[in-house]
Amino acid sequence: MKERTFAISPMPRVEGDLEARVHVRQNRVTEAWIAGVMFRGFEKLLIGRDPMDALVFAPRICGICSIGQSTAASDMLGRFYGVGMPENAYWVRNTVLGAEIIMNHQTHFYLLFAVDLTHPSLKGRPGYEEMCRRFHSLEGEAYLDVLKNRKTILEIMGLLAGKWPNSLAFQPGGVTRPITRSDRLRMLGVWRSVREFIEKRVLGGSLERWLEVSSLSDMDRWLGEASHADGDLGLFIRYGREWGLDTLGKGQSRFLSYGAFPRPDGSSLYKSGFSDTQSVASLEPGSITEDVSHSWFLESHSLHPYEAKTASDVHKEGAYSWAKAPRYQGYVTEVGPIARLIVQQDPLALDLVKELGNTVYTRIVLRFHDLMIILSAMETWIRSMDPEAPFYNKHKPRSEGEAFGFSEVSRGALGHWMQVKNGIIVNYQVISPSTWNFSPRGFKGKPGPVEQALTGTPVTDEQDLIEVKQIIRSFDPCLFCAVHSGGIS
Amino acid sequence: MGQNKNMNMLWIQSGSCGGETISFLNAEQPDIMTAFHLLNIELLWHPTLGSIGGHEVIPVLKACTDGSRPLDILVVEGAVYQGPRGTGQYACFGGRPLMDWVRDLANAAGYVLAAGTCASFGGIAAAGRNPMDATGLQFYRSRPGGFLGENFRSSSGFPVINLPGCPAHPDWMVETLLDLSSGKLNLSDLDRFQRPRVFYGKLAHHACPRNEYYEFKASAEMYSQQGCLFENLGCKATQCESDCNERLWLGRTGSCTRGGFPCISCTSPKFPDGFVPFFETRKIGDIPTTLPLDVPKAWYVGISGLAKLACPERLKVNAVSFKSVETEGETKS
Repeated sequence: MKERTFAISPMPRVEGDLEARVHVRQNRVTEAWIAGVMFRGFEKLLIGRDPMDALVFAPRICGICSIGQSTAASDMLGRFYGVGMPENAYWVRNTVLGAEIIMNHQTHFYLLFAVDLTHPSLKGRPGYEEMCRRFHSLEGEAYLDVLKNRKTILEIMGLLAGKWPNSLAFQPGGVTRPITRSDRLRMLGVWRSVREFIEKRVLGGSLERWLEVSSLSDMDRWLGEASHADGDLGLFIRYGREWGLDTLGKGQSRFLSYGAFPRPDGSSLYKSGFSDTQSVASLEPGSITEDVSHSWFLESHSLHPYEAKTASDVHKEGAYSWAKAPRYQGYVTEVGPIARLIVQQDPLALDLVKELGNTVYTRIVLRFHDLMIILSAMETWIRSMDPEAPFYNKHKPRSEGEAFGFSEVSRGALGHWMQVKNGIIVNYQVISPSTWNFSPRGFKGKPGPVEQALTGTPVTDEQDLIEVKQIIRSFDPCLFCAVHSGGIS
Repeated sequence: MGQNKNMNMLWIQSGSCGGETISFLNAEQPDIMTAFHLLNIELLWHPTLGSIGGHEVIPVLKACTDGSRPLDILVVEGAVYQGPRGTGQYACFGGRPLMDWVRDLANAAGYVLAAGTCASFGGIAAAGRNPMDATGLQFYRSRPGGFLGENFRSSSGFPVINLPGCPAHPDWMVETLLDLSSGKLNLSDLDRFQRPRVFYGKLAHHACPRNEYYEFKASAEMYSQQGCLFENLGCKATQCESDCNERLWLGRTGSCTRGGFPCISCTSPKFPDGFVPFFETRKIGDIPTTLPLDVPKAWYVGISGLAKLACPERLKVNAVSFKSVETEGETKS
């Protein structure tokens, strides 16, 4: 049978503009290309500006993960100015970043991903009617419930970050908004409401019980208890494997996490590192490079972000994306909730990936797992805030040097790199999580993580390519910031 | 509220960060689904909402542009990228420059709403040397014209209705949709930058909880302190035309100055470059160069000098403290 090419362009219900092209032979994807089709030139915008301007520009790189961008940029500026934070600032920042991730994970599942489970081509599968009843876009019961209730946590965001997206509350040296005792009580109240909603809607049971789940077989036991099977996560766990989502989108198996939610004592909720699932190596920032061999940038060899000086070239032969191809020690690497949980050596994550691989199913289950871990930790962070202790340290000016800032955000590892001369920025580079996952081919034409995950995918309906879309959405693409930068010639 | 006409709406993301969509989703009372029902608005397409597939989107857009399907309200989020060299190729949609879609859809629409500062004036997307050749729909920064030209009128006779803000408050969107669907918006309701006066006729300074500190020029010296952010820390709320501090954000819990950081006047056509430095106040002598929009300089100098002399101890002490400090005699009347 002949090989045929299909393109998904535009791809709706992803954040930002993305195009996918696949070759299909005998109802299987033989090769895939993923392209970022908008160039936003953000890093170029920052050249020539005051280093502190990064706080204004960074959140505006991505309206979805604006707090994540602020976290990386303020971390970078804190390192640049050599200023530490008071204990309170750790708790406030963790709470705000956690709130954004909790919001985003709900948005991803209900507004972007689960709608695919109601696709007409899936009719006849077990549980299909129930999926439609809950997840149908703009009318499903769960869709509407979440659209209304995901906003509850915004009250915590409003108290600590003033507005969202695009807060300036995260500064080098801490946060701008001290809290009072009544703020703290109010936040605990909001947190409790969020928790109750998640327990009822998603878990069908208690948060504590879910957090005890440590293996695939344990998860199946959990499913049989209480009303867990009736929660939205239970419904997905129940039918996801029957529908074969556990065999769909299996990626290569190297994972990177920058670590997140630091504590004043130097520990953190999530560790940083690089894992091939067998072992975890400590993170070496110098091992990160970007390849532009298939991107619309003037040719150069792979470079560390501090050295990256690229210029756009829309006519370059063989190029097909505005995204660059980041690699770790030269390896194609997946990032995201699944990656940070593997680097953390979380027992559930390790067992799911061992038994089923990193597939659509495990990515979705582990994104919920990530949400639950952060939600649970948030109570401790709020309780740890001390209204009597400081929230901010003022920094001293500095006009030369370089610094990087790392954080885990909703979709995985986010890094900012900056170089400053004579008080102005001379180089600024951002590598966002979707730049890793949705990277185009790199050195020797080796496909990026999503491109690899798509290869071999069965195609039931050439018109809709629903499996291809499910795989793409399981990575939670955000192309607003993946599409890189560099200079314009 | 009166009778609402049944209207349809199409939302397109141009050179954007998606922040306007996120802000719109944050709408509270009413939330967006309730608003669509109350206002009788049919959502033709939105990049995040709905289930319409990739191959179905282009026919919907084409039906709007060729007139076979009337388009009542077009919402554009993000700036128009005209680069490189006027081709618009930095941003494509369905294999075609977004720039061309925006023009065709705007020409077909009853009303065109620019959601956010980038769509209105270019904003962050057009900052500095503007490497992307980005512009707002009908303004480039403060200059009329922009992408569609000064004389553009949608079929209702309106120019582009600008709802700047980085992002725009969701109420500004929802209430404007209400005014359109109930036929209540008049040309005279728009200000010189085509913004509805009802939202942009105030200053972000109004209802700022730090106003008592402002009155007595009791100023914070670093972030996290309770004093006014105007004198030292770069606050532009006295120049920012918006009702942020009256309306409040996120469950009516916050605003920029309530969050302890300076307003950077993000609703202005001159945002961002007209408001640098963002985090400190530029002064000539002791006088900030960013005086309130409608206060004469000589009066400001006189009044602020007197105010400092009259400042109660309670404010002096608390202005530079991160927590509330009691001073003697503060409760005496």
